[in-house]
Amino acid sequence: MTPDRHGSAVITFPSELEVVITREFDAPIALVFDVLTKPEHVTRWGATPPDRMTECSIDLRVGGGYHSSFVTGDGRVFSFSGTYLEVEPPVRTVETWHFNVWPDVEAVETMELQERDGVTTFTWTMAFSDQAGRDHMTSFGGHQDSLDEMDHILRSLLDPNPA
Amino acid sequence: MARASTTSDVFNAVGDVHRRAILDLLLTGEKPVGAIVSDVSMSQPQVSRHLRVLGEVGLVKSRADGRRRLYRLAPEQLRPLHAWVARYERAINHRLDRIEDYLDELQRQGEREGQDSDT
Repeated sequence: MTPDRHGSAVITFPSELEVVITREFDAPIALVFDVLTKPEHVTRWGATPPDRMTECSIDLRVGGGYHSSFVTGDGRVFSFSGTYLEVEPPVRTVETWHFNVWPDVEAVETMELQERDGVTTFTWTMAFSDQAGRDHMTSFGGHQDSLDEMDHILRSLLDPNPA
Repeated sequence: MARASTTSDVFNAVGDVHRRAILDLLLTGEKPVGAIVSDVSMSQPQVSRHLRVLGEVGLVKSRADGRRRLYRLAPEQLRPLHAWVARYERAINHRLDRIEDYLDELQRQGEREGQDSDT
């Protein structure tokens, strides 16, 4: 049996414009890379009913694009898209990141994998290019509207299933 | 000049690397401004300005000690920030848990079908 690592992600904010998330998976690096980058896999974990993943295209090469769309149970649409800047299977991809709800935000996402003794460490970095992105991350102190917006964003970005 | 939002919420107050350095230092205990200045390599006016912002959001409290003023951390004001990070953490983990479960499922399938190269 593999250990249960549920809930074990480590999140850090190394600078004012970056968020870094790390998490270990008990699987070989090649499999983790495929699960993160192949549409036939991503569509299996990308959305939770009643939300649906309505689009998932990944052209995994430098200059290639990706695009994913989600429809939530109450009909809201979220989509993410970008262009690959670096592709080094199975260890690393770097891509631009655009989110339809934050049209003014430019970010670069880096996904890195490292395998040791059968355990693959996934490091996911979001680097916002300027203050606009960071403000979206932090400038909603206590206001319920913006907390709700952040919840929606996180749900679609990270878990489309409503809490 | 500080923007209004900087002085009105904890998120912006800790968004500045210099203010975080001051908070880190105050974690070790109450200090007069002079001790902060010598530790964080900023000028006294800069440190005073940052202390004022931190004071306005309630992260730092001060008291008179003879002719000096001593500054200390008021960490309970970090609660909204902690709540936000916890929320963020839950959402991220939920997504990553799904990937973990899916990887487990794929690997169990591989073993059942005898395609696991280790066996």
